[in-house]
Parts: sequence; structure tokens; C-alpha cells
Amino acid sequence: MKTLLARASLRHLGGHPWLTALSLLGIAMGVAVVVSIDLASGSALRAFEQSTDVVAGKATHQIVGGTSGLPEGVYTALKLRPDAPEAAPVVQGFVQVEGGNHRTLTLLGLDPFAEAPFRDFSTGNAVGDVGALLTKSGTVVMGAKTARVLGVKVGDTLPVTVTGLRRELHVSALLSPSQETTERALESLLICDLSTAQEVLGQTGRLTRVDLRLKDGEAEAARLRAALPRGAELVATSGRAGTVEQMTRAFRTNLTALSLLALVVGMFLIYNTMTFSVVQRRGMLGRLRAVGVTRGELFVLVLGEALMLGIVGTIAGLLLGILMASGLVGLITRTINDLYFVVNVRRLSLEPFTLIKGLGLGLGATVLAALVPAWEAARATPVTALRRSTEEDSTHRQAPKRALMGLGLLLLSGGLLAWPTQALPPAYTGLFGVMLGCALLVPWATEKLTVAAARPLGALFGPLGRMAARGVTASLSRTAVALAALMVAVATTVGVGLMVSSFRGTVVAWLESALQADVFVSPPSLVARRGDSALVPGLAEKLRSTPGVEASGSIRVVHVRIDDVETDLLAIDFAKGHERTYRFKEGRAEDVWRQVDASRDAVLVSEPFAFHRGVHAGDTLRVSTDKGLHDFRVAGVYFDYGSDVGTVMMPRPTYDHWYDDRSVTGLSLIAAPGQDVDELVSRVRDRAGGEQALNVRANKALRQASLEVFDRTFTITQVLRLLAIGVAFVGVLSALMSLQLERAREFAVLRATGLTPGQLWGMVSLQTGLLGLLAGLFSIPLGLALAYVLVHVINQRSFGWTLQLVVSPGVVGQAMLLALVAAALAGLYPAWRMARANPAMALREE
Amino acid sequence: MPSSPPDSRPLVELRGVTKSYAEGDSVREVLSGTSLTLHRGEFVVLLGRSGSGKSTLLNLISGIDQATQGEILVEGRDLGRMKEKERTLLRRERVGFIFQAFNLLPTLTVEENVRLPLELLGRTGAEAGARAHELLQRVGLEGRAKSFPDRLSGGEQQRVAVARALAHAPPLLLADEPTGNLDEETGKHVLDLLEGLTRQGDACALIVTHEPGMAARADRVLTMEGGRLVERPGGARKGTP
Repeated sequence: MKTLLARASLRHLGGHPWLTALSLLGIAMGVAVVVSIDLASGSALRAFEQSTDVVAGKATHQIVGGTSGLPEGVYTALKLRPDAPEAAPVVQGFVQVEGGNHRTLTLLGLDPFAEAPFRDFSTGNAVGDVGALLTKSGTVVMGAKTARVLGVKVGDTLPVTVTGLRRELHVSALLSPSQETTERALESLLICDLSTAQEVLGQTGRLTRVDLRLKDGEAEAARLRAALPRGAELVATSGRAGTVEQMTRAFRTNLTALSLLALVVGMFLIYNTMTFSVVQRRGMLGRLRAVGVTRGELFVLVLGEALMLGIVGTIAGLLLGILMASGLVGLITRTINDLYFVVNVRRLSLEPFTLIKGLGLGLGATVLAALVPAWEAARATPVTALRRSTEEDSTHRQAPKRALMGLGLLLLSGGLLAWPTQALPPAYTGLFGVMLGCALLVPWATEKLTVAAARPLGALFGPLGRMAARGVTASLSRTAVALAALMVAVATTVGVGLMVSSFRGTVVAWLESALQADVFVSPPSLVARRGDSALVPGLAEKLRSTPGVEASGSIRVVHVRIDDVETDLLAIDFAKGHERTYRFKEGRAEDVWRQVDASRDAVLVSEPFAFHRGVHAGDTLRVSTDKGLHDFRVAGVYFDYGSDVGTVMMPRPTYDHWYDDRSVTGLSLIAAPGQDVDELVSRVRDRAGGEQALNVRANKALRQASLEVFDRTFTITQVLRLLAIGVAFVGVLSALMSLQLERAREFAVLRATGLTPGQLWGMVSLQTGLLGLLAGLFSIPLGLALAYVLVHVINQRSFGWTLQLVVSPGVVGQAMLLALVAAALAGLYPAWRMARANPAMALREE
Repeated sequence: MPSSPPDSRPLVELRGVTKSYAEGDSVREVLSGTSLTLHRGEFVVLLGRSGSGKSTLLNLISGIDQATQGEILVEGRDLGRMKEKERTLLRRERVGFIFQAFNLLPTLTVEENVRLPLELLGRTGAEAGARAHELLQRVGLEGRAKSFPDRLSGGEQQRVAVARALAHAPPLLLADEPTGNLDEETGKHVLDLLEGLTRQGDACALIVTHEPGMAARADRVLTMEGGRLVERPGGARKGTP
């Protein structure tokens, strides 16, 4: 680029510091949202993967059992084989540290004599007596860092709870590994002897798994597999990462989608800024063309300017993103803990790939958004560029044509969204098309509405009101661009807001129909939505016979492998004589219940399960049971919003037939007629005694608790929505402010002809108010359309949930308020500046 | 039909040029079958009422706009057959344009505005600086080199525009009412400058104006009437033997 042209560009940006700053802020926020989400969720997943890798060590394969692990005998039999592979038994579970922040740690029970080929925690320093693990029961060693955080020293007692039962562990040594990955993994680990882990976790005589190192790979695996007892499976560890990936895919897709939406809004802001900058300098660009600057050179000039903004904005965005990620990582970790698995994230891992992606995204989005304005700048012939009226004429002339194009694009996008596929890219393309289609309708709609508004405004505010309305149409080439950007920004907040409120509404309705019993009992669980702890033996029967209980049901939640993927299996013991309140997506309720009650081979699957695995009623599923793999028939698909990865359900008798486990995860108690529920709750609590810490909750309290989990998991979405609102606010502010600042000369003429500063302020406020109102009005239909697409297309394709779109007036009202407040603020500065400025100065050529 | 000195090759030739604009459903013809020949060393004045098509003619000759019909040749090259980029490059190299509204770039200083045509031609550094300095000195603005245009009076701005138009010593100088926004004395000064610089550089200047008084110093005087050109000799030519 020629030096003088570049200098002219730079000075233009420097000459409008407010607008430049706002567009930089738009880019920076767009990039920051994407980067922070990526960094935060990436950090959480990497923390989980790293700790899993360290815990799994160098194992190539694992022998895993059914719902309650493996009998110890499997390991003994394996070691007695003449071709015994390198093997190590493992008992693993979660414990929660009492007091402090109730941190969850993984208790890893190992056999020190079998460990050498698998894991090495011994590199680095150890303080205390590691040998005590073997000699003293209940002894653990832990990372020195974690001990410091928890305030634990060598020789201290560490009280923990396991599924509501209190246990005491003795810390005999603190480890400071030399390897960083091991050190990180140790941050959430307690290591102990096999027998200590069995005792603490209540798994006496059982193993979680046996780690193997198979030198001959699959051939050796096949040999060993043949000799395994029923219910034991040999699997390759390479599939493990895939499970985590699969489990959280929908969650991450959703976050990425929302963050990309913020970037799209950011892109509209950049587009708005660049278009404005081109429109504003049309005269100057015409002069340049007149003195011999070619179209290509102008194109490069405008694009270069955008790139410069892009570089500064993106770098600021990356820094802001890192800052925001440190805040978001806590929220994402909590959501993952609520929904999927226990993970501790103590620090952000700054992945260079994420930062490079953010850089590419920021610069790419800026350049992409600037392409159209740059092309427009280059396209204009010098003679028309020098004449502004020509530009306005052509905008007015083209408004109906553009509106028709917009309608066409809307139809095309509608078709793309309705296209029967589960792929997400067509959905996002359709979504973008809807936004663009609506943006094309804006000039025409603005013209019509403003002409209609001129009369009432005139009646209310006199000539100033009419001037304010006419000003909007007189500079339609500028106002339409600003309004389109505002509409998209505000509509995004409406769309996301309605999606969350619709989701919540659906969940509330579902909870109301699903939770019919009066009292629910369960031990505390570490993963809120995957309660898999069990009541201590005998307790369930004792509580079921509490006086005042008319009928009772139970649930058992276990993790089993279905078609080689770990899945939640629910075994339900329905309360006798009471209605089963499930709604079915596939299958008629009477037929479904008849089938599953009559057969030991029939199961039900939830809607997300059916969606993710491509399963329908009538299909078969291969489920790992304690009697080996068995094929079950899917009798029906039920609506369920408890798990986004999906669950499989079977009646308790079927479960008891296939599994040796007799535990119960939770109880539902139905009060006898006339029985006060609160009284029953305290009676159940008394009856449970101190044997096991239990959550005993009345129906209302459980619904409340479930909604709290829901709200918690959507906190991150709400944060993203707030960020989108922030981006939208900046958008409204910058668009309207630039619109008004650009009219400095016109205002100066008005001031020179006798308009008082107060009148000028009134006119500017009226006009920005009108623009804010229009932006708010335009954003409502687009916001509703976005919500519809998010709820019925994107959400459906990501999670497989059928949701009811509920239009909440609050969300729509918020959007209008956002547009109006931002508009009012946007008018303040230009009006203040112009009211104070000497009109003579403004009348001079800029 | 306008006449021309028989001994030189034409710098600009217009052959039956027509230009019309669409206005709503109707078409307005601004130029109809206009022909004209301009030579180096000529100082030509173009008179006419507002809206008679004077500025359109300048835009067509500079390649900023295109004719609806007819041929326009600059140094023998047919603008109608040239691509947009070629026309722009021709303008960059061979044309200097002075606008009534000055059209200086507000974000460049006075000196930078003058240097711009040179930089576009790849002439940067000391040589360009010296040329800009020389021209500013000649237009009497050497002390304002670092000022931005909005700090200058109308007359000063127009003098900068003259310096910018002459910076790359173009053979063809087009000026669209260069004194329209100036008082009489400043206008005269600008015209003196234009005439002097044109004649020294053996260029051709076509000056659009409203002022009949300017005819006195012109070699040829053209008047635009009803979309056609009518020519009479200017004061300068009358005085020659």
C-alpha cells in the first residue's frame, strides 16, 4: 500500500478515536468470547484427560467388570496363567474431603508390587513414610501441593465422605513429582494400598479394573478374552479418550455454537464499522479515484485498514479471552461436574492452537466482514462517489429490490434449515442466511416505518420531530447499515435468552410430570445428574417401611457398556398402583409398558440416547451385563431432560435378572392419604439415623434442587448471553454514535440557522431514540426466528432434545430496553459535543 | 467547428460525443454530438451556464465518467476502448484535475496532498519532497506545508489543489471552476498561477468557468450551449500576429 494512503487511513482512524475504540472493542469482545470458552472447556477436558492418562499409566488394555466391578479372583486367575501378561489390579473411586471447600479427590488403590510397569509416582521427592501404605491400613499418600491447599501435613488425619459415609484417612507421605503431568494429576489424587481403597470405597473383594500391558496386542487380547469369566470384559485403553470426547461433545458443541454466535455479532459490528468508514469517506474515496488511485488500490486500502483494526482488536481479544477464561473455567468445570464426570481444574492451560485459532478467527472475521465494504468502495465510479445524493438515490431505489432478495434468502435459508439431516453446518449456514436475509429487508422496512412515524412525531414534537424522522430516511445508506447491525446484535440476545427460557420451561414441565412421589431419598452424589452412589444394604427396606408411606419405588443408576460406550443404565422399581408418568416419543405407553414388564429382554431409551446412537423402537442394543453381553430390544423412546448423552432404562426385575447388584441409588416414597409430607420427611430422616448421610427431600425441594442444577449448567450460557448483550450494546452505541457524529456539518448548519443547543439535543435524542426503537422492533421477529432455529434445529441436532419454544415477554422486553438505553446513551455524546461546539468550526471542511 | 493549430498532434480529441443520464423514467442528454480538439501549449476556457454540461465534459475527458456515444482520444488512445484500470492509470500519469470544491484529502497535510500524485507514480523520497516544496513555494504556501487542509482558507486550499494537480507535470490540466469559491483577487492569483505553470510546462489547460472575464487571457474560448460547443478565439490568440 502506498505510504501516503496508509497514512491517510491511519489519521482517519485516529481522528475518530471513539468510533475506532468501539470497533476495536467489538472485535476484541467477539474474539475474547470464543477464545475464553475454548480455553476454559479445553482446560477442563485436558485436566480430565491428563489425570486419566496418569491414572491409567502405560496400560494398553483393561479388564473391566459389570456394575460392581470385578471379583478379585479374576486377577489371581490371570496371574496364575503360564502366559500371564504384565497386570496390575486397581480399585478406584471418589471421596469428598470434609470441611474446607469439599474438594473431590480420586482415591486410587494400587498393588505396589505390580505397579512398576504401569505408573511411576516415585520420581521426585517424597516427604514422610511411603512404606506405611503397605504396613498400616487406612494410609494414603498425596501430592504436596494439594496437601498445602488443604492444610494437611504428614501424619495428619484426613476426614472424607464416600457416598454419604464418613471415613478417616491417614496421610503418611507427601509427593512432589518431577514430571509436570504427574504433578498435575496428583492434584486430585489420593494413593493407597488396594485393601485400603476396597475398605474405604466399600468394595471388599472387588476390583474396579485390571490394567494390562499386552505385548502382542490384539492377538493376545483375544486369547485372554476367551478365558475371562462372564461379566468381565477386556477393552483397549485407546477407546477411553473417545468416551470423554463423546460424552461432552454436545456440551462443547453448544458452547462453541454460542461463542461463534458472539463472533458473528462481532463480525456484524466490524462490517458496520467498515461500511460506515467507507460510506463516511465516499467523497474522499472519490477524490482518490479522481487523482488516479485504481480500484484495486482502494480495495487494498480499505481491507488493509480493516486488517489493522483486526490485528489490534484480535490481540486485545486474545488477552481479554485469557483473562475471561480464568473466570469461566470454574463455571465450565462445575457444569462438567454436574453433568458428566468429576474433574478438578486448578489452572488454565494456554494451548497455542487455541490462541492461533483465535488469531485466525479474529483476523479472518475482520477481513471477511470488510470484503463487502471494500468492494463497494472500489466499485463506485469516481463521479458517483463524489456525489452523495447519487448514493442516497440508489439506496432508496434499491431498497425494494434488496427486500425481495432478502425474502428470497429467507426462503432459501428456511429450506436449508428444514433439510432433513442431522448435520450442523447446514443449520449454521441457514442461521446465518436468516440473519442476512433480515438485514436485507432493513432499508425497505426502515423507509416505510419512518415515513409512517414522521406524522405522529411531527404532531408530538413539531418540526424537530419531523426532521428527526426524515433524517433517518434522508441518510438511508448509513442508517440502514447501522440498523441492520443493531438488529442482529439485539436479536442474538433475544434468541439465546428465549432458548434458555424455553429449555427451562420444558424442564420444569418435565420435572412436574416426572416427579410424582412425595419424598425422595438418595445419598449425596458427586456428579449431580448422575447419582450413582448406593444406599447402604438394608437401609432402603428400612426406609420404605416408614410409617406414613403408602407406596414406594426405587431407582438404581449404574454405568454399563452399551455397544462399547459407557452409558447410564437406570433400573426402576415402580411404585405399585401408581401411574408411570413417562411420555413417549416412540411407542404407545400401554404397549411399551406391557412389553417391558412381560419380557426380560426389553429396555427403554431416552430421546437423547436414541438420537446420539441412531436407535429406534424395535432396534436391539448390546449391553454388558453380569452374565455377559446380551442383546436387548428397544421397546420405546421416552422424553427425558436429565442427561444430554442419554440413558437406558429397564424395570428392576429385568435388572435383577441380568445383574448381581442388589443396591438402590434412590427411593421415591408416596405419602399415605392425609399424611403431612414435611412430617414424613423428618420421620424418614430420623429412621435413617447417622448410618449414612442422605438427601431426604420433599417433592418441591427436589424440583428446586433439580432446577438449581439446571440453572447452574446454564450459567455459562447466561454468561455468554450477557457477553452477547455487551457486544450488542457496544454495537448500538458505535453505530448510532457514528451516525450522529458524521452529521456534525449538518448540525452546524442547523445551529447556524438558529437551533438552540437544547433543541439540537432534543432532535438528536429523538432520532437516536427512533433508531433504537426501530432496531428493537426489527430484532424481535429475527430474535424469535433465531430462538426457533436454536431450539428446534441446532439444539435438537446437538442434544437430540425436543423442546417447547416459550416466548417470554421478559426477554423481549429486555431487548427493547437494551436497544433504547444504548440508543439514548449513543445520542448523548454527539448532542453534547455539537451543542458545545462552535458551529463555525464544524462548517469548515472536515 | 472549433479550429486548431495545424502544426501539432492533438492531445485530446472528442468525436461526436454524447452523454445522457437516466432520471427516473426519462433520459436527460447533457452532451449531444460534441467534438473538440486540444493541443499542448493551449490555455482554453470553457464557459457555460450552470447545468450546461461543462463538468460532465471534464469528467469524460479525464476518464472519470464514460461517454454514452462517440469517441474520446487522449494522446491518441481511445478512452472508450480502455479498461477502467487503464483509464485510471492514464489519469494518474497524464492528467491533473482541479475541483471547484478543492477535494483535498483532509487526513493528509498540505505537503502530503501535493506529494500524493508523485507517490502514486512511485516517485517517493527526496525528489518528491523537493518537487512538492518547489510547487508550494510557487503557490506561496511554503510556510503551510505541515498544516492540514481544514486550517487553510478557501484560496489557500485551492492553491494547494493547483500544486497537487501540477505535481507530476501532467500534459493535460483540467480545472472545474477553480475560482468559483474564491474572491476576485485570490481567483486572479490562482489563474495566474495556472496559466504560468501551464505555459511553462508546455501543457494544455482546459478551464471551466462562469466568468466571461477569463476569456481575455485564453487562447481559445469555448461555450457550452444546449449540449454543444461553440468556439471563438480567446484574448490571448487575438493579440498574436
